[in-house]
Amino acid sequence: MKSGLKGLTPTQTTGLFLGIFGLVLPFLLPLGALSFAGQIGLGIFIMAAVFWMFEPIPIYATSMLVILLQIVLLSAQGPMYMDAELPSGKPVELQENTWQIPTGALRDDQTVLLVVEPGKTEAVPVEIVERNGQHVIIRSEQLSADHEIVTNINHRLVNYQPNSYTDYIGTLANPIIILFLGGFMLAEASVKYNLDKNLTRYLLSPFGSSPRFIILGLMLVTAALSAFMSNTATAAMMVTVILPIIAQLEPGDRFKFGLALSIPIAANIGGITTPIGTPPNAIVIAALTEYGKSISFTDWIIYAFPLVMIMLIFAWWLLLAFFPPSVDQFKLDMKGKLNLSPKAIGLYVIFGATVLLWITENQHGIPSSMVAFLPVAALVTGQILSKNDIRNLPWDVLWLMAGGISLGIGMDKTGLAVWMISGFDWGAMGYITLILVFGIVAVAMSNFLSNTVTATLLMPLVISLHTSGVMGDSFNLLITGIVIAMSCSLAMALPISTPPNAIAMSTGIIKTKDMAKIGVIIGIVGVMLILVYAMFYWPIVTN
Amino acid sequence: MERSDIYILCIEDEQEVLDAVVRDLEKLEEQFPVETSTSAEEAREVIEKLLDDGKKIGLILCDHILPGDNGVELLIELHKNERTHESRKVLLTGQAGLDDTVRALNEARLHHYISKPWNREELLDVSVNLLTDFVIENEENLLPYMATLDTEKIFEHIRTRHNISDE
Repeated sequence: MKSGLKGLTPTQTTGLFLGIFGLVLPFLLPLGALSFAGQIGLGIFIMAAVFWMFEPIPIYATSMLVILLQIVLLSAQGPMYMDAELPSGKPVELQENTWQIPTGALRDDQTVLLVVEPGKTEAVPVEIVERNGQHVIIRSEQLSADHEIVTNINHRLVNYQPNSYTDYIGTLANPIIILFLGGFMLAEASVKYNLDKNLTRYLLSPFGSSPRFIILGLMLVTAALSAFMSNTATAAMMVTVILPIIAQLEPGDRFKFGLALSIPIAANIGGITTPIGTPPNAIVIAALTEYGKSISFTDWIIYAFPLVMIMLIFAWWLLLAFFPPSVDQFKLDMKGKLNLSPKAIGLYVIFGATVLLWITENQHGIPSSMVAFLPVAALVTGQILSKNDIRNLPWDVLWLMAGGISLGIGMDKTGLAVWMISGFDWGAMGYITLILVFGIVAVAMSNFLSNTVTATLLMPLVISLHTSGVMGDSFNLLITGIVIAMSCSLAMALPISTPPNAIAMSTGIIKTKDMAKIGVIIGIVGVMLILVYAMFYWPIVTN
Repeated sequence: MERSDIYILCIEDEQEVLDAVVRDLEKLEEQFPVETSTSAEEAREVIEKLLDDGKKIGLILCDHILPGDNGVELLIELHKNERTHESRKVLLTGQAGLDDTVRALNEARLHHYISKPWNREELLDVSVNLLTDFVIENEENLLPYMATLDTEKIFEHIRTRHNISDE
């Protein structure tokens, strides 16, 4: 295990060096149309992707590193662009339509770059008359004496207008991150006052004692909780609910596999239901919002809820088919008492009010991120959450998402995203094939990578397909984004696919083989269902 | 079950008793390697060596009557030592008087007292409990310990402390 760097596995060590090499790689290759800033952006992108895949450092650390590299290398205030000025000058008119320009202004394809506005140039074809050491004499009918032309075409400001570093660090206060912060604080308080456990007890009681319905109940409750809380915390709680049931089974009984698998499956699927259910949703929503496709809390639920329900029912049926119950009934004995202290009641009121305001966003129009500040402020004002509780929030997840959003901004700003899609004839693919391919790629990738990372790596491509217009009118940005978000959450074939899977696996009840079998079926059926929704349902509800 | 780098150390001068302790801990040994020593002096060396190799001492089961320094003295010393401060400490004895026991409790923050002859179940339960606390406080990744140690306690920790977060 221990080779290479101290404390790193060989894979991690490889990843570390590959990532660092990736950072400089774009400067070693002839990349043609990519601007200097685009090369920096590509380096950061490769490094981040490699670090996220091999994890030589934790994935949230990679996110923070991305932001650091961006503010240093790409921002207007960083050392790279702090004092930079685009070298430009006016062409010298020798006679009509014949101009003298510096040699550095002439590009290999016999064009010069006209400065249209800061960060944007236009190539103008010219005809070379004579090369003359430092100058070139050219003919062009499109130039005029008051045109500014770029006199050094290799300069780092060509086709790049750096944005402020505050755009990158500001991602931590992006409205979607604040929405998650509100959700995290509600979840933190719910766990502190055992609201999640008590809700589970109440919600499970109508499902009786028949094994079939207990499993359905477990899945529905798990999904409902994970729609508002962390999938992982929900799974950790729900597994403790099923452990006593499993103890009632005979040692060789296969029904326990179904029970133990039902929790991570429902937790993963449940996260799709709301914008705050799981981090990939945030990446997609942030990117879509940037391009004017804002999605309200209500809208998201309208898009996602029918899919979630069908997937849950399907998974339920699948688990029962593979692992039929062996006994007629179970005793589900959950002890506990609703906390009725003033602070706990305060939490119930704040929780109820926030969720109500969120799901009715379309009716009142107050953005969900604004509503999110209600629990943020109210929970600490009422001292329902203490200083220690706030320190205990999953800040790593907020940073992970912020870094992902920031990477997307950089890729778009530097022209990298458009460059990446430019080598391929996307238009020939057709919109439906494209949706299918994105769905399959997203599920496949996020089986091995973090779901958030998968969304982060794919969304810039979706955005540039939109901005470049290569797909034509049939392309729907909103729906493609939704496809990515939902596909990322449907990957659950392996213990490493998602933390809830890892948790269920760690109990030692399930075998990887069983998880893979069920997970692969859910992935395939999930993508097919997403395709059907993308063709028939989402076009209706997004208009 | 993958071997962890968390060790259990048993200190006991009578070989037969030592063997019995090790036998009772068999279920844990697969994941938590057991080291033994027969005196305080030897124990110090074993601890020093393990720590220098980057291992951790999760649990120390110590008899009171030992050649040289006695068990209570050793535990107090290990409690004061920064490197073994976190290790869970159990006094496993029949012969410690009230004074020594009180000293161990006050000055070594003894985690548990088991009187000889011990009950096998009790010894195992206590060890599982203390090792669970040790890994919760000292380990980043708790999942490998789920199946051997106190599952419910570890899940509760993950639920409340976000030991694992959504990604």
